[in-house]
Amino acid sequence: MPSIIETSQLTRNYGEICALKPLDLKVPEGEWLSVMGHSGSGKSTFMNLVGGLDRPSGGELMVGGENLLALSEDGLARFRREFVGIIFQQHHLVPYLTAVENVMMAQYFHSVPDESEAITALQRVGLGHRLKNRPGELSGGEQQRVCIARAIINSPKLLLGDEPTGNLDHKSTLMVMELLKELRAEVRFTVIMVTHNQEVAAWGDRTIYLDDGVLVREERVGQR
Amino acid sequence: MRVLGSAWKVLSARALTPVVIGLFLLLYVGIAFSAEDALMALINLVASSPSLIALFSLIPLNRGALLIRELNDFRARRRLLGDGTGILEPRLFEQTVTIRGAAGGFPAAARRLAGAGYRTRGTGATLRAWKGVTAFPARALFLAATALFFCGILLSLGGRVSARGNVIEGVALPALEGSPAGGVVRRIALEPSGGSLLAKTLSIEVAPGDDGEPARSFGLYPPSRYHGSFVYPRYLGIGLRYRLFAPDLPGGAEDRLVLSIYPPGKEDGREVEGTPYRLVFSLAQPADGSDPYTTGNFTAQFKLMRGNDLLCAGSAPAGGAFAKDGYWVEIVEVRRVVVTDFISDRGVYLVWLSSLFFVVAALAWLSVRVVSPRREMVFLSQGEGITASLRAEGRGRQTAGLFHELLDALNSADGPHGT
Amino acid sequence: MTSMAVRLMPHLLAWGAMLLLLARGCAGRRGTVAAAAGAGFIGGIVAAPAAARLLGTDASFDTAKIVLGAAFLVYCAVAVAALYGSGRSSAANWGERLTCSAPVAAAGAFFTGVAGGAVCGFRSLSGSVTTVCAAAAAGLLLLPLMLLVERRLPAAFVVSPASLVSGITSLLLFTSSSLLRLDLFSPLTMKVMKFSHDFVHQFFESMLIPDHLFFTARLWGFVGVLFSNAVGFWGALVVWLAPALLVICAVALEPLPAVAHLREGARRRKTIAAAIRAKRQRLAVPLLALAVFSCAVYQSKFPAVEYWDPKPIQVSASPAGEIFIPKKGEVDLEDGKLHKFLFKKGGTEARFFIVMTPAGGLTVVLDACSICKPDGYGQTEGTVICYYCKTLIPLDTVGRPGGCNPVPLPCALKADGVHIDGVTLVNRWVDTVQATARVGGEGK
Repeated sequence: MPSIIETSQLTRNYGEICALKPLDLKVPEGEWLSVMGHSGSGKSTFMNLVGGLDRPSGGELMVGGENLLALSEDGLARFRREFVGIIFQQHHLVPYLTAVENVMMAQYFHSVPDESEAITALQRVGLGHRLKNRPGELSGGEQQRVCIARAIINSPKLLLGDEPTGNLDHKSTLMVMELLKELRAEVRFTVIMVTHNQEVAAWGDRTIYLDDGVLVREERVGQR
Repeated sequence: MRVLGSAWKVLSARALTPVVIGLFLLLYVGIAFSAEDALMALINLVASSPSLIALFSLIPLNRGALLIRELNDFRARRRLLGDGTGILEPRLFEQTVTIRGAAGGFPAAARRLAGAGYRTRGTGATLRAWKGVTAFPARALFLAATALFFCGILLSLGGRVSARGNVIEGVALPALEGSPAGGVVRRIALEPSGGSLLAKTLSIEVAPGDDGEPARSFGLYPPSRYHGSFVYPRYLGIGLRYRLFAPDLPGGAEDRLVLSIYPPGKEDGREVEGTPYRLVFSLAQPADGSDPYTTGNFTAQFKLMRGNDLLCAGSAPAGGAFAKDGYWVEIVEVRRVVVTDFISDRGVYLVWLSSLFFVVAALAWLSVRVVSPRREMVFLSQGEGITASLRAEGRGRQTAGLFHELLDALNSADGPHGT
Repeated sequence: MTSMAVRLMPHLLAWGAMLLLLARGCAGRRGTVAAAAGAGFIGGIVAAPAAARLLGTDASFDTAKIVLGAAFLVYCAVAVAALYGSGRSSAANWGERLTCSAPVAAAGAFFTGVAGGAVCGFRSLSGSVTTVCAAAAAGLLLLPLMLLVERRLPAAFVVSPASLVSGITSLLLFTSSSLLRLDLFSPLTMKVMKFSHDFVHQFFESMLIPDHLFFTARLWGFVGVLFSNAVGFWGALVVWLAPALLVICAVALEPLPAVAHLREGARRRKTIAAAIRAKRQRLAVPLLALAVFSCAVYQSKFPAVEYWDPKPIQVSASPAGEIFIPKKGEVDLEDGKLHKFLFKKGGTEARFFIVMTPAGGLTVVLDACSICKPDGYGQTEGTVICYYCKTLIPLDTVGRPGGCNPVPLPCALKADGVHIDGVTLVNRWVDTVQATARVGGEGK
């Protein structure tokens, strides 16, 4: 299986603090990789680098055949728009826009909005009855499903999740993880899920453990 | 056959009318820089040139041909949507695409379309859906209106006959060529109207005459008919009979004139035949501000000239006289006159009818476009693929979104996805 | 020399812009186009003064005006064709094929060069041979410069065939409108006014609509607008800007590409977004052309020309009623400038002027014509201009009746000066002003 992510001696420093020490990692296409570690271990730093949200301090980083170090700011922005979908713990939905409009906003920044496609995406994540509701009128799980629809609307090859179930109850967490599993099977994107929850990590194909910016352990997880 | 086919293609081409109009515009531009009355010159040139008439006639022919072609397309689409017969020709629709997929997805697609307000029909291998009201009747009316309009102009160019005559109170209507004389004009009445468009109305009352017509009244608009011609009042004039006596004209001179001296203040003059004199007349404005044409109280003012010398000037009411320095001018009678054109023009009806058609077409089109424009989709299962066509007379983006969604759902070798 | 250089600057800048458009619009034929344009420019800048000497100034200006007018008509045809062909690939292919074809590109560039050079040539008519040579050299220098600038322009600056014609025509007419005698907009307003008048008249007759005598004053006020000076200006503006607007519409109304064959929503939207972006880029030149056309109108309405318009000198008549103006008295009647005079009798003030024609004779005319409101005349560049309708009347036709020419005044030209009958002057003035007042207040 070809690799969608290849890092070689990838590092990230914030002044004197070394958030990510030289990291060599390959992520095959279509894999669900869970990234675990305690607070400050470099999980989010790794995810930000891979998602083009931050620039490495050193090493090499190839994502989807693109050398992210060689991209300009415009190039990185294009890369983020077209290649990556991100789900955050904090949702970051626009509070005064409806669910459909939040999804259409992602379309707008990518190309052009298409309400019909946005509605289809929301129906796919089980929110066909909540199209016109604002985030404040949705439960945590529903908000996260809007985020998922927003993240996948532009057919990204790489879906990044930064503790997406951190604020959810157990039932909602299960619903979100089931949905991601189904979507991955349909659309076939690669998932990188940052989490500190072992149960959530177990949904992936492989889990890597980071400690103080160093990859300390790697585990293959069986299919659920 | 090939020649006929090419001729039909040219005749029904959308570009033909603008090309012909462009040529006439060019002709107008050329004439405008060399003649003062360019429009009249163009009209006269076209009317007198068979080749230009033939060129102009391409416009209504083109509109008619377009109407036939679009009607055929409309009927073909109706057949396809209705009972599914007929071939799915891509030119009948705006978009046609072929995708992988099976007809098994049609029932789910039909439900989705029904949910979006479409009416659907289908056999196992076809799915047809439509929504809204077609604007084709408005389009057909528009094409018919343009054809009628230009036909009307053509008829006017080739067949407008105009004869000018004076309609004088107490005198029979002028006889038109090939027709007997009309009845005597009993009364010409100019009345204030008080309307928002017309300040005054004019009516010409005519007694029964030798032409067998009963008593009738000619109005202003719409124009009345007289022996197949339109009665088109142009100017108001005054019929005046005078007598003149001068020191060197003891026998006097008398004449009847039709003068263009209305409204009061306008001057018109004539030579007194057989004398060196010239009389210039005008109407006096009554002190009470009334309109002498309406009231019938005429006071004629005159200037008696010999060469450039003014011999005397004065005024007299109808039936009155004025004398000074040996000169005596009697205003024997004054009558109302309407200088009228009798116009035979069959094209006018067509132009009026086309105006009505234009208005109806515009209103119809606007209503349909705003309220519920027509949208049509056709899906045909053929082998391992599905051919899908779309046509939207309005709300195109929205319709295209639904169309793409349905194609995504149908595009699966495993069957449809649930939605 | 400096003032001539300043006057030539806008023409050279416009020429440079035309070169830019040609280079970008005929991208595959830069060399051919540049050579043809350069040759045309030299030809035009030399031909203009040569034609003025051979054919006479009036004939050469008239010829140039006809050529510019023909170019505008061709532009109108291209704009209509662009709108009708909007979205049809066959139309776009035709346009692309023409601009890429060497003979067509070269011919178009050559014509552009001739027109641009001729306008510069006409502008420098009053200058020396050195001026003409300097202008030619400057025009040629701009060639390599503009080719260099064109290479630096972003790829997003797209010039489609219709935009190319749009841009070049707008620049040509902009430069020509700064020359009174090449301005097309003013004569266009007159023709539109005449057309409006004729059309309304003909429409009323054809539709058998009653005369204005029967209408309410309010309604006739609305209809009367169609006979006014304003309709000439606004109608001409519509005609002037219509082709540029049609080209803009042609681009704006192009249908978006069909994407139904793409199964991925993101790809469909990306394709549509790219098409919308390309459409917007293609709008840049037509929008600029619209702005340039508007500037041409401004130049036409407010030309940077100084009119010679002296204050009328009051004259009086002798007891026999004769007005005498000596050839060399308060003013020199034979100095080639027009001299205005004012005669008062009763409550009437009649204005007239005397000017020496190019033929060498003095001519005496009213400071009014038989069709316009009596706003008077000014003199510039070998013509007199009617202030009301901005028509230019060549000096050698002043004294002849008709059109917008000032009304001729009978007089006796003797060795000592000009003798005019006061009564004749007043009567003619009253007749003229009364005639224009009846129609006037509403223009021609």
